[in-house]
Amino acid sequence: MANRITIDPITRIEGHLRIDVEVDNNAVSNAWASCTMWRGIENILKGRDPRDAWLFTQRFCGVCTTVHAMASVRSVEDALKLEVPINAQYIRNLILIAHALHDHIVHFYQLSALDWVDILQIPKADLSATTKLAESISPWTRNSREEFQAAQDRVKAVAASGQLGIFMNGYWGHPAMRLSPEVNLLAFTHYVQALEYQRKALQVVGILGSKTPHIQNLTVGGVANAIDLDSSTALNMDRLQMIRGLLEEVVQFVNQVYFVDVCAVAALYPEWFKIGKGVNNYLAVPDLPLDSAGTSYDLPGGYIMNGNIGGVHTFKTAADKDFRDGVSEDVAHAYYRGDKPLHPWKGKTDPAFTEWNADEKYSWVKAPRFNGAPMQVGPLAQVLIGYAQGHPLTKKYAGKAIETIGAVGHMQVTPGMLESTLGRHGARAIRAAMLGELAQKHLQLLTDNIAKGDYTVFNQPVFPSGEVEGVGTHEAPRGTLSHWVVVDGGKIKNYQAVVPSTWNASPRDASGAHGPYEASLLHTPLARPEEPLEVLRTVHSFDPCMACACHTFDPSGREIAKVKVL
Amino acid sequence: MKKILIGGIGNVLLGDDGIGPYVARLLAAHFEFEEGVEVADLGTPALDLIDHFSANDAVILIDSVKIDDPEIPPGAVLLYRKADIMRQRPAVRMDPHSPTLIDAMLSAELFAVAPNDLLLVGIKSESLEATCNLSGPVQAALEEAIAEVLNELDRLGVAYSYRTIPEDPDIWWASEQQEESLVDI
Repeated sequence: MANRITIDPITRIEGHLRIDVEVDNNAVSNAWASCTMWRGIENILKGRDPRDAWLFTQRFCGVCTTVHAMASVRSVEDALKLEVPINAQYIRNLILIAHALHDHIVHFYQLSALDWVDILQIPKADLSATTKLAESISPWTRNSREEFQAAQDRVKAVAASGQLGIFMNGYWGHPAMRLSPEVNLLAFTHYVQALEYQRKALQVVGILGSKTPHIQNLTVGGVANAIDLDSSTALNMDRLQMIRGLLEEVVQFVNQVYFVDVCAVAALYPEWFKIGKGVNNYLAVPDLPLDSAGTSYDLPGGYIMNGNIGGVHTFKTAADKDFRDGVSEDVAHAYYRGDKPLHPWKGKTDPAFTEWNADEKYSWVKAPRFNGAPMQVGPLAQVLIGYAQGHPLTKKYAGKAIETIGAVGHMQVTPGMLESTLGRHGARAIRAAMLGELAQKHLQLLTDNIAKGDYTVFNQPVFPSGEVEGVGTHEAPRGTLSHWVVVDGGKIKNYQAVVPSTWNASPRDASGAHGPYEASLLHTPLARPEEPLEVLRTVHSFDPCMACACHTFDPSGREIAKVKVL
Repeated sequence: MKKILIGGIGNVLLGDDGIGPYVARLLAAHFEFEEGVEVADLGTPALDLIDHFSANDAVILIDSVKIDDPEIPPGAVLLYRKADIMRQRPAVRMDPHSPTLIDAMLSAELFAVAPNDLLLVGIKSESLEATCNLSGPVQAALEEAIAEVLNELDRLGVAYSYRTIPEDPDIWWASEQQEESLVDI
């Protein structure tokens, strides 16, 4: 008889991820991913002016603010067939890249590293050995004995105080934790340093978007940045120079620290290349447009079915007809009314809550499908699709990752190993390195275009009297994001957002096919089912984001996560 | 110069969760503050709060709170200080982006960048349904919440003055009806 384990962060009252797994012989035999809150925020948009929609969508989530703003203006531009001046494309691209770099760094260090790094081993680390190890894998100048000592002292002080604080809920000493004290110290030191570099990436968003966390410079048809080389308040050469400096520091951190750490952790946990594969249909949309009309892009898109890398399909544009026609949402196991999958333009958000029921409805997340199939989205999908298409930048950094992991772990690494829990972390680091290079490229393109005297940033939108439909996509940090809008007589008639975590956290569909989180957990071995660290590792590797919708503080002080073994 | 942040947190699309941004924008519209004071609508910042903590000497946050106690009615204003928050347990993060005032504070403490003074002005919510408007009891608590922020500024010795001609609070998400009902605050 299998045990059922529920992991439910109970005090996050509204809208969080809950995972249920059945465990048989210390391995996961079945899994359910569910979201515990109905959002239905899209309904707020009906009847509003489509030019204002991005202000609202930017508030969907506090972590993914800019991505929803961008997808929204793109959806309206697509409906109007409105081109965007090239300066606006570059400025938007830079904001998206800087946001993604911030997001990827935070995800790895602040949100996932401690799944692999055992804080309580750090006091045992030998400083000389740590310094030597660090020098052998990276030229990072802040890999100094002083920085390692300061980080170690900090952990020792926390341990001595008996107040573990932020570390209170870690699975320290868990048998699945296997790094040496020195590697633990190295990673923790970078965890501290990462805070400074994610902030620099965010400063770039702030300079271009005029504010964070909610950028102010977007508008349907372009951006609202004034470009004027003779003005101190507009976007001028000083500001561009400031962005250049910030990006240089962030890119150096990504290449010399984040990328190397992910490869090193991966090399030291090689069994995790065999765990967590799950759904091997992959989807990504092209992004970072290089012209006004959106006909060429710096990031490729397409899809792969059943792991058939050689049979990769290509999306030519960010709103490719195959993508437009292929997306539907199924509510067979989600708390909504509806008897068949609907295309997002026809989509309904009509709640019908029942209790959590493993065989029937169990989640507030709809099940998005592409040509009827569940799809994994995110950096892994993007890297695999780019790699399969022979995209040079993807091949460059994927090759570098494969080489680095192989060198640290003394092992043979193949691209197919990326289809795993560790592979998702590796792909995110590969994507970050690609984005770092592209940030510098797009800054140069913007600077050169401004130097030519082109200050245009905006094309006026014109709304037709009848009904028009549009889709705006963005290959966001967590994967393919699409906003679907129907505009009638200049007002929003329908609005649906199909977000990356909906693809990945999708429940089963009418055919019973698992969503990606669910499928990725099957067969995962658990050393201690009552401390399901392995489940967290795989779920975290997707970088889920569902709870930021609501920020209510719960002062009750009770146990915050419930791990229930039945 | 002392650096002070007055930050409204919450989601303006989810009913009473939007109380923080309302309070922040009303404060900025009706009061002028001495140099070094920043008033911000922070939305739902998750771990980015660490950056706000590290950049300031004192932080006043306004947020909705969840309390099961039926004796405490919706719209009640409750105050939490740094020590109250530091006593909480951090979350086991299923979703690594869970709302994380507690996590952000504990992390800031670990990095030795936490402000000495932290006050959370909490307003018990009635409804967190998807709407851009506040419920009656929570809207009625706006003045008390604003008064608590001003009390804290007095305690910190920070100067401020009432604007005789208020600025537009720009509560762009609210219905016209709700926005009009805020004019007299």
